[in-house]
Amino acid sequence: MEVTLLVEATENAFRILGKAREHAIGVLDTAVQLTAEETRFFEEKRGQLLFTGAQRRKTRFQNFVGTTFILFAFWILLSGKFDAFHLTLGAMCCVLVAYLFHDLLFANVRVGDMRIVVARFIAYIPWLIQQIVLSNFHVAFLVLRRKMPIDPQIIEYKTKLETDISTVALANSITLTPGTITMDIKDGVFYVHALDQKVAEDLNAGEMEDRVAHIFMEADHLYVQDVLDAARIYGSLRV
Amino acid sequence: MTRDSHDVIVKTLARLLMPFMVVFALYVVMHGHHSPGGGFQGGVILAAGFVLLVISHGLEQTRKRMSEKVAEIISSIGVLIYGGIGVLCLILGGNYLDYGTLSKLLRVTPAEARSLGILGVEIGVALAVMAVMCTVFFAIFTAGESSQDDRSVK
Amino acid sequence: MTQFFVVLGVGMCVLVLLCLYRATYGPNVLNRAAGLSAIGTKTLIILLLMGVIYDRVDMFIDISMVYALLNFIGTVVLAKYLERTGEA
Repeated sequence: MEVTLLVEATENAFRILGKAREHAIGVLDTAVQLTAEETRFFEEKRGQLLFTGAQRRKTRFQNFVGTTFILFAFWILLSGKFDAFHLTLGAMCCVLVAYLFHDLLFANVRVGDMRIVVARFIAYIPWLIQQIVLSNFHVAFLVLRRKMPIDPQIIEYKTKLETDISTVALANSITLTPGTITMDIKDGVFYVHALDQKVAEDLNAGEMEDRVAHIFMEADHLYVQDVLDAARIYGSLRV
Repeated sequence: MTRDSHDVIVKTLARLLMPFMVVFALYVVMHGHHSPGGGFQGGVILAAGFVLLVISHGLEQTRKRMSEKVAEIISSIGVLIYGGIGVLCLILGGNYLDYGTLSKLLRVTPAEARSLGILGVEIGVALAVMAVMCTVFFAIFTAGESSQDDRSVK
Repeated sequence: MTQFFVVLGVGMCVLVLLCLYRATYGPNVLNRAAGLSAIGTKTLIILLLMGVIYDRVDMFIDISMVYALLNFIGTVVLAKYLERTGEA
């Protein structure tokens, strides 16, 4: 009785596995097709743009316009005067500065992602403030006790972040949290000075890093790229 | 992707801060008659921006934007604006830097002419201060290197 | 309310004195640099508190921004200089 049940269960499991395999093959086939189409489309487009040399000029123009608008918003925030004379002065200054420094503000940034990055960054700030307050109390208790049970140490922290802007965001978040200071970044390894064991463990848990990666869409990006790579490999194997 | 460079933090922050700093300096110059600041202070902030650029990105990158020769020319232009406005007032029949007389040229009331004249003079002062500060800093920054080279030659 | 801000400002001044001790008697250059940088940030807060007390926040915000910028650049330049001369 039990043996028949077991056999039945095994058969069921095999059937489910087979279905899953079919599904997976279907999904991967679609992915292969999509990848091929996308690659072809992008290569055609890039070929056209490279042919005319327009890609670089277009990025430069986008950078110029974006920088001008951000700087003009900053000017209005500073000035707070809305008469025509001061607004014209501000517009002239912003266009001049954007012309001189258009390559500084947006280096290595994909333009379409900017809105999501800004929204996620704003959502990240309250969590950071909460972390800062919590570890502030922790460090205050440590320091104000009579024995002062601190245990200073330098920990090496390997990061998975890729771009320099996300690395800098993580480093500054670590420095802003009391008790930890980023001393140096070399080849993707953070050298962090931690005040005691608990703070170091909090850092090694890696929640902050995950959140920063989420802001700059590195985790999502890697995930999508992994699927596409797998689809490509699968396609070449099948053919 | 500047992973191999070991001062990525300062580099990135300087890159992001520089345009805002220059706009802030221009704001200090332009609003000198409403809030604290003016030509000299704005020029110093502008020069500080270039100092930050030299410190973070190195001298070669900065020379593309502001070389010693350009700094000399800009300082002369700044002094020329300052003196030119003063002499223009003299020619129009007033005292040196008596902006009220500019109203004949600009076709506005004397009060507005005074405001515009002060703005022009402050822009001149800011340009001159910025260029001279940059020249001084470049001289100090490169003097150490060249003297070290001399020592190594000896 | 003004009294509250005055008390806060006086407390900040006491903290500045502590940092000044470190900047004056620091055993080596790096301690002095850290002390000076901390004095800069506290002065920034004191400037803003003065702005609130005198009811001219718009004016004091400009001054404090300039102070913050120059403090940052000064610290970076000092660090670069110490790195170059190798005197730590």
